Amino acid sequence: MARIELTHISKRFRKVIALRDINFQVEDMEFFVLFGPAGAGKTTILKIIAGIEFPDEGLIKINDEVVNLVEPAQRNVSMVFENYALYPHFTVYDNIASPMRSPRHKTDEATIRKEVRRVAEMLKIEHLLDRMPAQISNGQKQRVAIGRCLVRNPSVFLMDEPLAHLDAKLRHFMRAEMKGLQADFNTTTIYVTHDYMEALSLGDRIAVINKGEIEQIGSANEVYYTPANQFVARLFGEPEINIFGVDLIEKENRLKLKIPGYEHLFDLEPDVERMLLKYNVRELNLGIRGTCISYAFAKEDDDFIPGTVYSLEPIGNMSILIVDINGEYIRIVAPNDLDVELDSDIFVKFDLKKALFFDRASETFIARHNRVHYVSEAA
Amino acid sequence: MMNMKIRQLSLSALRNALLSLYALFALFPIFWMILITFKSDAEMYTTTFQFHPTLYNYKEVLLRTDYFKAFLDNIIVSSGAVLVSILVGVPAAYALARYKFKGKEDLAFTILSFRFAPEILVILPLFMIYQALGIYDTYFGLIWVYQLITMPLLIWVVRGYFEDINVEIEQAAQLDGYPWYTVFLKILLPLIKPGLVAAGLLAFIFAWNSFTFPLLLSGFRIETVTVASLKYIASDTVHYGQMAVAATVAALPEVILALLIQRHLVRGLSFGAVKG
Repeated sequence: MARIELTHISKRFRKVIALRDINFQVEDMEFFVLFGPAGAGKTTILKIIAGIEFPDEGLIKINDEVVNLVEPAQRNVSMVFENYALYPHFTVYDNIASPMRSPRHKTDEATIRKEVRRVAEMLKIEHLLDRMPAQISNGQKQRVAIGRCLVRNPSVFLMDEPLAHLDAKLRHFMRAEMKGLQADFNTTTIYVTHDYMEALSLGDRIAVINKGEIEQIGSANEVYYTPANQFVARLFGEPEINIFGVDLIEKENRLKLKIPGYEHLFDLEPDVERMLLKYNVRELNLGIRGTCISYAFAKEDDDFIPGTVYSLEPIGNMSILIVDINGEYIRIVAPNDLDVELDSDIFVKFDLKKALFFDRASETFIARHNRVHYVSEAA
Repeated sequence: MMNMKIRQLSLSALRNALLSLYALFALFPIFWMILITFKSDAEMYTTTFQFHPTLYNYKEVLLRTDYFKAFLDNIIVSSGAVLVSILVGVPAAYALARYKFKGKEDLAFTILSFRFAPEILVILPLFMIYQALGIYDTYFGLIWVYQLITMPLLIWVVRGYFEDINVEIEQAAQLDGYPWYTVFLKILLPLIKPGLVAAGLLAFIFAWNSFTFPLLLSGFRIETVTVASLKYIASDTVHYGQMAVAATVAALPEVILALLIQRHLVRGLSFGAVKG
């Protein structure tokens, strides 16, 4: 039960800037995800909240109380480390029991036994309790580390890529479990991941971090459907979103979209047109996901743009069709049974109702159709 | 199949033969030393194994001289020196392993460099300083000067062990709610124990066998066994038998200590075998 607030947090390691002016607030009982590529500073933020790293500037507040000078042991936070940080000379049982034996969270041995059993069963490691950390696999170590974190009831769970080293099946299971746990525990959770599916499925809100700065904070819908910039748009979704340059042309007092190398002018949705007029830039980037593009082998109308099939890669339950349109490679999600020949002609149609419009110069988000639908009231 | 087996057998036979040869080579001087403790001075120079065993040397050394006093003094200064080295050296090694501060590597190198110069080179200034400070021929003085021998070894070995422990293990323990001293005692100390034991034993052996420092910085009120052994060189003759007794008894604590902590020692000497 805690609200966490970070204001103007900056941190540098010697000459490298790790974090630059980080501000966010995590509400009580919220599942807050820190998402970003490797080396973005996610772990550093977590350690600053835990109190094992110190910011050069800025305040950390837990329940409106500044904790910059509070010892980690006194902050009542519980953390899963990415490389487990298990005590090598303790058995799995003693590792999990460790928080409950500390002077800060002293519990009697009977309760400890019960609690360790409980989390061990949940994490399916009850058969490993007598082993030493050196005698178990990485995935098992990670579950022990999660167990040590879950065994007590802290004011906030800090989880640094807790599922990264699990196999795919267990990861899916644990992802669901995490979500359930959080509801059971009524505890604030801050969760670091570089897996966009984990971020989207778990996070009440997601903070996208890049090079020590926050790019966007929002719900899963917000970061997916209305990304703040091209960087955020590219991080979410597989295949990666298609982003390419387009121009705006004024014709008969209406704004039209022109795709380079293709004569036809495309109509814009009225709300998008309004935003673009207000923004008043003619050079745009269009972002469109692979699922929002249809294709045909004959030209049905002028909205279909001609191209050639560049490649077709099956990736399990779907395939990615890559179409070459005037040198631009467009990734389209296609069913597995699609039968095409490479270099054959194909026509694609962009669903502009689902397209994202970015400023080409600053790469920031300008508009999308029906934007209000995706943005929560708070934002 | 058969060939393989024969080859393996002959290989292991050869290995055992070579090891036995080496063991013989290494143990023979010790055997010879023990042998001459039972010889009288008259028979000392015979190289045959025929002699009249006598306990005269033992009686002479252990009962008629103050050898026991030297033995006790040696235990006090050597274990005192190792104890001080552990109390000061372990925190120092931790600081050198964990913290970033200016001149850290220079400091670590300076500590190591205490072992570079031969003791005889620095003994004259040390002698004068000790005289001036009034710590000449005191336990305190010897324990202090022994730090030159024991501390660098301990700091460098233990530092390596601290560096092998992932700092996140300490951080995890802090978050579990342990104060820093419990983290140190419960988490770190068990993990560096093999290194600490090995370095401590080696430091003790070096301190125990030290000769130059106790010879020149003590000798009247305090005397170590290494210095005491010199007394058997008389003006007329060298009492090799008695000297051998002194040396044999002097070697005992080291042997006993090594046997007692052998289990930790084997692991401890294979550096880095225990990672965090």
